[in-house]
Amino acid sequence: MKIVVAYKWAPNPQDATVGAAGAVDWSRAKPAISEYDPVAVELARELADATGGEVIGLTAGAKGVDATMARKAALSRRFDRAVIVADDSLQGAGSTELAAVLAAAVRHIGDVDLVITGDSSVDVGGKMVPTVLAGQLGWPAVAEVSAVTGGAGSVRVERAIAGGTQVLEISGPAVLAASTDAAVPRLPGMKDILAATKKPVQTLTVAELGVPATGSTVTVKGTSRPDLKARKGQMIDAKDPAAAAAELVAALRGTGAL
Amino acid sequence: MSDASEPENDFDVVVVGAGIAGCVTAFQLAQQGHSVVLIERGEAPGSKNLSGGVLYCRGMQEVFPDFLQEAPVERRVTRNYINFLNAESSIGIDYKDTRLADPVNAVTVLRAKLDPWLAEKCEEAGVFVMPGVRVDRVLTKDGPTGKRVVGVKAGDDELRASVVVAADGVNSFIAQEVGLRPKQPLNHLATGVKCVVSLPRETIEARFNLTGDEGAAFAVVGDCTEGIGGGGFIYTNTDSISVGVVLRLDDMVAKNKSATDIFDHFLTHQFVAPYLDGGEITEYGCHMVAEGGMDMIGDIDMDGMVVVGDAAGLTLNTGLTVRGMDLAVASGVAAAAGIASALSGKDTSKVGLAGYREQLFASFAGQDMKTYAKAPSFLEVQRMYKDYGELIGNVLYGAFNLDNQPRQHLAKVALKAFKKSPVKIRHLISDGFAGVRAL
Amino acid sequence: MTVNTWIVVAGDPAIGDLIDTARSLGGEVTAAVVGPRPVADTVAAGGVDKVIWFGEPGDAPVEAYATAVADAIAAAPGVVLGSGGPGGRVLLGAAAARLQAPALTGASSVSLDGADVVVKRSVFGGIAEETVAVSGPVVLVLDGGSVPAATGSAPVEEIASVPLGMTVVQTKPSEFEEVDLGAAVRVVGIGRGLKTKKDLALIDGLAGASDAEVACSRPLAEGMDWLGKDRYIGVSGQNISPELYFAIGISGQLQHMVGVRGAKTIVAINSDPNAPVFTEADYGLVGDLYQIVPALTDALK
Ligand SMILES: Cc1cc2nc3c(=O)[nH]c(=O)nc-3n(C[C@H](O)[C@H](O)[C@H](O)COP(=O)(O)OP(=O)(O)OC[C@H]3O[C@@H](n4cnc5c(N)ncnc54)[C@H](O)[C@@H]3O)c2cc1C
Ligand SMILES: Cc1cc2nc3c(=O)[nH]c(=O)nc-3n(C[C@H](O)[C@H](O)[C@H](O)COP(=O)(O)OP(=O)(O)OC[C@H]3O[C@@H](n4cnc5c(N)ncnc54)[C@H](O)[C@@H]3O)c2cc1C
Ligand SMILES: Nc1ncnc2c1ncn2[C@@H]1O[C@H](COP(=O)(O)O)[C@@H](O)[C@H]1O
Repeated sequence: MKIVVAYKWAPNPQDATVGAAGAVDWSRAKPAISEYDPVAVELARELADATGGEVIGLTAGAKGVDATMARKAALSRRFDRAVIVADDSLQGAGSTELAAVLAAAVRHIGDVDLVITGDSSVDVGGKMVPTVLAGQLGWPAVAEVSAVTGGAGSVRVERAIAGGTQVLEISGPAVLAASTDAAVPRLPGMKDILAATKKPVQTLTVAELGVPATGSTVTVKGTSRPDLKARKGQMIDAKDPAAAAAELVAALRGTGAL
Repeated sequence: MSDASEPENDFDVVVVGAGIAGCVTAFQLAQQGHSVVLIERGEAPGSKNLSGGVLYCRGMQEVFPDFLQEAPVERRVTRNYINFLNAESSIGIDYKDTRLADPVNAVTVLRAKLDPWLAEKCEEAGVFVMPGVRVDRVLTKDGPTGKRVVGVKAGDDELRASVVVAADGVNSFIAQEVGLRPKQPLNHLATGVKCVVSLPRETIEARFNLTGDEGAAFAVVGDCTEGIGGGGFIYTNTDSISVGVVLRLDDMVAKNKSATDIFDHFLTHQFVAPYLDGGEITEYGCHMVAEGGMDMIGDIDMDGMVVVGDAAGLTLNTGLTVRGMDLAVASGVAAAAGIASALSGKDTSKVGLAGYREQLFASFAGQDMKTYAKAPSFLEVQRMYKDYGELIGNVLYGAFNLDNQPRQHLAKVALKAFKKSPVKIRHLISDGFAGVRAL
Repeated sequence: MTVNTWIVVAGDPAIGDLIDTARSLGGEVTAAVVGPRPVADTVAAGGVDKVIWFGEPGDAPVEAYATAVADAIAAAPGVVLGSGGPGGRVLLGAAAARLQAPALTGASSVSLDGADVVVKRSVFGGIAEETVAVSGPVVLVLDGGSVPAATGSAPVEEIASVPLGMTVVQTKPSEFEEVDLGAAVRVVGIGRGLKTKKDLALIDGLAGASDAEVACSRPLAEGMDWLGKDRYIGVSGQNISPELYFAIGISGQLQHMVGVRGAKTIVAINSDPNAPVFTEADYGLVGDLYQIVPALTDALK
């Protein structure tokens, strides 16, 4: 089986700050493999090992995705090789544009049986890239997949639905977004990192791929800080739990919260 | 040297810790063509590092000639301000000198930016940088002259090398594990709490009376630590301010105080708060600081291993300046030289590595450590942190408070303040004498 | 100006809010309904102008109609609205791909400026809000709202379609009972500070004493499986605005906290004084939840 895993090289907004004027400052947020994408790698690896096959890492983004650190971080994961679309025109690109680029790369790789993605990216977190990607390819897509079995041409997946789980059978190639707990990712060790530099990497640009033009123009009018409710920030000394509890309950009753 | 049954070396040198000391060591060795791996537990170099931020940069410029132009330095320090802080008064010595700008003597840096830059320089020089890996222990074997370090282990993986460099910071468990450094007594350790407050650059320049890329470094003692041994600092970056306190651990334990409470007290102190007004905290953290001076330095070499930077105990707290980064650079340079000659002489035993020790103690870093050898015990004296500041404050209050009473001679005012103060003349004399000798 | 809108219905007719948004844009509102006929009928009665129904799905999952839905929309592009469940996202993703239109999540308001659709939305896990103007088609992923009351009767047009090659072979109910956190007045949220599943009894005790529902951070519902997935709060989970929220043993990462920003009062209990949760709390107690929670439960009795 030929399995492509889409991983994102992205910073965590937890470490970003938004200035009073609304500008987002990412300078302290270091990019890394997006939080849940290693789960997708693990799921793909298990399936590939069970069926005999190859796992190819695929990412798209501005030049930084092809930096030595980024390559090493990706290839020390359990990929066999990687395809990296590094192009500054992708700085700040939306889900649809990214998915179009990823779809073109999947076609470029050729004969792909399955694309597995993470649940959501740490920075954007829209959960839309996998489904738009499937749309671009005309393939079936399933999100919140917790298990995959089968082989090329036909897979069986388990996925969450409201109030339970479902098992689906899918024929032909498909895009699957892994649930956050579909597998437990293995942390790369020193030997994995050393081996990373020996794995093949193909670097592509958007122009080389031939990506369809967007059908709409998006103009950012501005960004701002969300209007947060002012919080009291009152700390209650909890060395004596009973006294602290009494104080808290009194305060909450006072404001009508209880 | 190597016998056939030994596994092959993966690298000439393994450096553990991509702080300043580790990066400088790795960079210089790679430049000379040695194969080097630099292992860092943080996901990205710099992510775990916190530092006050004044770097005395001449040493760095010798390693990287274009350091000031290329590296992410914040401001060039031309204004040093020493401040005795009391609850209601503040007395300062303001030393501004444009000569400090040319040649540049000190710059402010943010480790979150500097460390990644250093790691990148290492990459360019051919170092294999390996972030996201925590070294669990060193590999040793018994040799003719005792234990010899042959590599490191992390998780299930082992890497072997002719020399291991312990550059893993003040808590260096590696140096402790192999018995190079005893566990430090509390009075050799301090805890640093620091935050970075972002403000527009014009605001910083106006508040601190700076122009262009000039910077200010404030050293604060007295009420800022609520009487705990230690001090506070305020350093200006381009568009943020680094502010923190360094507190002696033994004193905190003895007085049962929490570092964060003292830090909050400092930040909200009426003489500190105005500098930070309107700013936003963008980084916050605690870190250990070695304070023991010369006493902290343990053995820095053994067969197959050297220890550099904070891991070797190379920090100086003179009361006015915290220095560690420049010493980390100096030790990295000395270690790289010592290791290079050991590798070319094919003797990486303690004897073969002796060049490191010699060069380190011949350098300004080693000399300074000796010069300030007594500073820590001088700084242990309680009076430094509380009583002197109040005493001077009361003297000046007497002089400047025009309370419709006839003026007195300053000596009389001073004497009156003195009588109220717990400081006795003999303290003044003995501390003054100790201080002159220590600083 | 007005624009025509599509509402994509992925098996669940709870689209009241989508209809309101579509109506505010003034144009014709067409619903593309995937699911059994009664779903199409409920939608047709709910206040849309027209329903396009893709036929009885049999054992095909909602996702099997992605291409069919995209084709239908591409014949008359406009603003496409839909709710963000896993099935809905697949249908919306296919539409966005076909139209090469942006797919925007987290919108808090949608309006028109001339022919442009202006969307204000939360971005980057909720640290910022962005206002964008889109000219051309756009796909918006929103909260559906509740099932609309029967107010009209739009015509239902059935289109013949070939579903993609996927079938449901088994459905297993969840072991957890369903809960509507949105309706709860008080909520007790628990995180990884809880050491074992059986300690949930402690939390149930507090919830009982304060007449609250139990909720959690994501890892407790996904990964540890101690609670149902509909009980976790945050960007990927539930958004709640109760009178009172207890965050217990929860560090307060951004992705969790955005889900409770509407709470009137937040109480945080955490053993780590530096936990970010304290910066967004009205009352903070630093200490061991195993001591504080029982004390609090007692104090409430
Ligand atoms: C609050 C504060 C203020 C200070 N102010 C100043 C100042 O103004 N000027 C100044 O010159 N100095 C200052 N210092 C001191 C200075 O920060 C240190 O002396 C300097 O950082 C030492 O550099 P280093 O490379 O030896 O160690 P570090 O910078 O501590 O680097 C050690 C590295 O090793 C890594 N590491 C540790 N263990 C492992 C492991 N097992 N496996 C892999 N990696 C590991 C760590 O993650 C870290 O990156 C201050 C310190 C503090 C805490
Ligand atoms: C794209 C994306 C989307 C996400 N969406 C969500 C989401 O919707 N909802 C969500 O919740 N998370 C979400 N997350 C995960 C989120 O980032 C955090 O990882 C998660 O919220 C952490 O859960 P926690 O606070 O329970 O665990 P931790 O962060 O591990 O915190 C546990 C806390 O318990 C405290 N503690 C431990 N023992 C005790 C004790 N005895 N007494 C008191 N306190 C104790 C600790 O000090 C700690 O602060 C998302 C992440 C990503 C990347
Ligand atoms: N730029 C990208 N390159 C590769 N994969 C991506 C990219 N963006 C998103 N993905 C994949 O799509 C998933 C969902 O991302 P998102 O739609 O941004 O929440 C991620 O977990 C990744 O697997």
